[in-house]
Amino acid sequence: MTSDSNCAVESSGLIEITGLSKTYRSKKLALVEALKNLDLLIGKGEVFGFLGPNGAGKSTTIKILTGQIRQTAGSAQLAGQTVSDYRCRRDLGYLPENPVFYDYLTATEYLAFVGRAFGMSDSVIRQRAGEVLGLLDLQHAAKRPMRGFSKGMVQRLGLAQTLIHDPQVFIFDEPMSGLDPVGRALVKQLIKDLKRQGKTVFFSTHITADVEEICDRVGVIVQGQLRAVDKVSDIVIGDTDNYRLHVRHGDGSVIEEIVSRNMLKQKVVNAWADQGALEKVVPVGRNLEDYFLDIVNNVNK
Amino acid sequence: MNGFWVVLIAALRGFLRDRVLHALLGFALLLLVLAPVFSLFSMRQVQELSTTVALSAISLTLLVLAVMLGGFSVWRDVERRYTASVLGLPIPRSSYLLGKFAAVAVVLMSTSIFLGFVSLVSVHIAASFYPPDRSLDLMNFMAAIAACSLKYILLSAFALLFSSLSTSFFLPVFGSLAVYLAGGATQEVVEYVTGPSAQSLSNSLITTVKGLYYLLPNFAAFDLSFQAIYGIPLSVEGLLLTFGYFLVYTSLLLLLACYCLARREFP
Amino acid sequence: MKKLLALLFMVGLYVALVVPLGDHLRERPLNVKLGYTPDARLLKLVAGGQQTILAESMTLKVIFYFGTVIEHWIQQEFVQPEYFNMFKTIEAAAILDPYNMDTYYFAQAAFTWELGRAKDVNRLLEHGMKYRDWDESLPFYAGFNSAYFLQDYDSAAKYMQKAAEVSGNSMYTNLAARFFYEAGDSRMGVAFLETMIRQAKNPQVKRLYEMRRDVLLAVQTLETGVADFAERFGKQPTELEQLVVRGLIAELPLDPYGGQFFLDDKGRVRTTSKFTEKLAVEPDKGE
Repeated sequence: MTSDSNCAVESSGLIEITGLSKTYRSKKLALVEALKNLDLLIGKGEVFGFLGPNGAGKSTTIKILTGQIRQTAGSAQLAGQTVSDYRCRRDLGYLPENPVFYDYLTATEYLAFVGRAFGMSDSVIRQRAGEVLGLLDLQHAAKRPMRGFSKGMVQRLGLAQTLIHDPQVFIFDEPMSGLDPVGRALVKQLIKDLKRQGKTVFFSTHITADVEEICDRVGVIVQGQLRAVDKVSDIVIGDTDNYRLHVRHGDGSVIEEIVSRNMLKQKVVNAWADQGALEKVVPVGRNLEDYFLDIVNNVNK
Repeated sequence: MNGFWVVLIAALRGFLRDRVLHALLGFALLLLVLAPVFSLFSMRQVQELSTTVALSAISLTLLVLAVMLGGFSVWRDVERRYTASVLGLPIPRSSYLLGKFAAVAVVLMSTSIFLGFVSLVSVHIAASFYPPDRSLDLMNFMAAIAACSLKYILLSAFALLFSSLSTSFFLPVFGSLAVYLAGGATQEVVEYVTGPSAQSLSNSLITTVKGLYYLLPNFAAFDLSFQAIYGIPLSVEGLLLTFGYFLVYTSLLLLLACYCLARREFP
Repeated sequence: MKKLLALLFMVGLYVALVVPLGDHLRERPLNVKLGYTPDARLLKLVAGGQQTILAESMTLKVIFYFGTVIEHWIQQEFVQPEYFNMFKTIEAAAILDPYNMDTYYFAQAAFTWELGRAKDVNRLLEHGMKYRDWDESLPFYAGFNSAYFLQDYDSAAKYMQKAAEVSGNSMYTNLAARFFYEAGDSRMGVAFLETMIRQAKNPQVKRLYEMRRDVLLAVQTLETGVADFAERFGKQPTELEQLVVRGLIAELPLDPYGGQFFLDDKGRVRTTSKFTEKLAVEPDKGE
């Protein structure tokens, strides 16, 4: 399925959030501000990581974007259409957090259900279902009712059902949860492939390593407020001040040494001069985890 | 429209694979098969009694189905968070609700057709034990079953309305049971309080009862069992009025349910 | 806005339909309103512990139905009640819940006078006495029915004896004696009805008893007039109007059921209202 709203989107973002707020009443009738004045613009072909501790407002944002709850203030648009209109989801692949699907259906039946909801023809559905099940390593379970699926299998089927209609925009709520290391690698590879195809991916997570590896940009949300939006490359590379050198000397011993940027050239020359083998030079920066923890700690102060 | 069919088909698949439903249908079949045996209790009215047993068995089955399917189908989707995955698709909520309703209605209709056919056979067998003075009026019998299924389709719309309002299954299930009981009584009660024998009642009570009478569904209109059992001629005007009433009342309920569901948040 | 208009349209349509539907249902034939009650043995089988409420609702349904019949009677309109269904329903209710007094009370109120089913009612009362063995009203009713409607004075005496034993009240034995003395007399009927009127709580039943008493009182007045006439003029009157003309009574009493009183060829007081032909104005003697 191709997008019919691509042209409208080029100028602005595919996901456009302005002044979005959500307030609700807790069971004790206290007002809870789940989301405060969120502005976010995500462009075509971007992989955006939405990072935040549990309960920070990531799911609230995603639920507003997918029309499950209504914002108290502000606006949110998907592909140029307001999210309260179901038609904005015609070019969206959405994976809910800890998803559950009609478990009396088989994987193939569920994919057909989703495909028909997107107006795909049965023959296309059949072909695409085979492809996406293969992509997520679920062919063996295609004809089985989902009642018997493991958590990881359900999660992978959840990803498969976002792919079947080949949308332009993907929203994944905690896509790595419930997956084993093999599954995580599979999902990371999947998102990288989507990026290569020029798709837009917006996903929430609380695991910094995932963001570091696959995202273009990251937004950090803490206590309902967006605290920072940055390019991942800027955070990881830009803050590199030191390098770790591993030098193997003639007697076989390996010496590790942290050197500053200024001293790097001198040290490398010295190592060569001492007949040592320069085994590794690793840039040591503040990594994303430090960056994230700094923000969280600042908020908590 | 697309979303409607998608939800309808998925919901029907779910109903067809529901074990509880199989058990219920099995029980209804057992009752119908036993109807000729029950009817031997009556010495004089074997056919009448077997018709009564058959109609009651169908009515009871449809009641349980209407409350169970109508009350649980949307409620379960919300409770198990199926709504997150389904409503994340480009399906308007109204299509989702109407699809669910249509699935319940299809199950109620096909169940009543199936059980109606079985009970025809059953009544025939019972009548052969003790041939009746007058053979079964087929038209009336079918009309009674059709009216009965319309009544329960209306009830299932109530159950859906309640489940689009409430987060617990308490309201959809017990609310629609209460509507069922009240709806069966309104006609008699209003006839009583507006009759001369109730002059001692206070005006406000009479007004309340009349208000409820026009608000609650009137299930007396759908009860054609007496006409079916004794072959009393049906009034065409009455049938048309009942059918129109069913259409309008059910549409109003569904409109209201769509409105409530559109407002609902799924946190 | 469009949605609101659609809603208003639907509501309008609803109102336009619900009123004629209500009228239509109100006009349902009475037998449809009463419905069909299956055999009690079967009901007991499937009632699943809800016999009491089922029995009560069945009794109420019949009382309610009979109420609508009485309405017609009061409006001087004769309708034939669904006797068969009514009695079957009441009988089924008594089998389902033999302790429910409403059932017996109603049977006594409804089936004896206009419908002349005293025998059936006594059978039902016998059934009830086995369970409500502390209750003197059941043998009291049965005793009255035996004496007044069935002229079976032996049974009546036995029932009254039983009522006296159960209640420890000698009034019943006195009543038994009175039954013998006033056998077949409308005064006995009046006395019984007065008792029942005092006990009646349901206004409709009370009304029914009052109507019957009024008929009996009217008949009593007329019978006394006829006797006076015969005594004074040495011959039977041929028309009841003669009693008024001769100044024996002030005016002809009205039949509460809407008929006209007249004298039949045997000189007995009768009425033209259709169903009081069955009314036990004067019990058939010589059976």
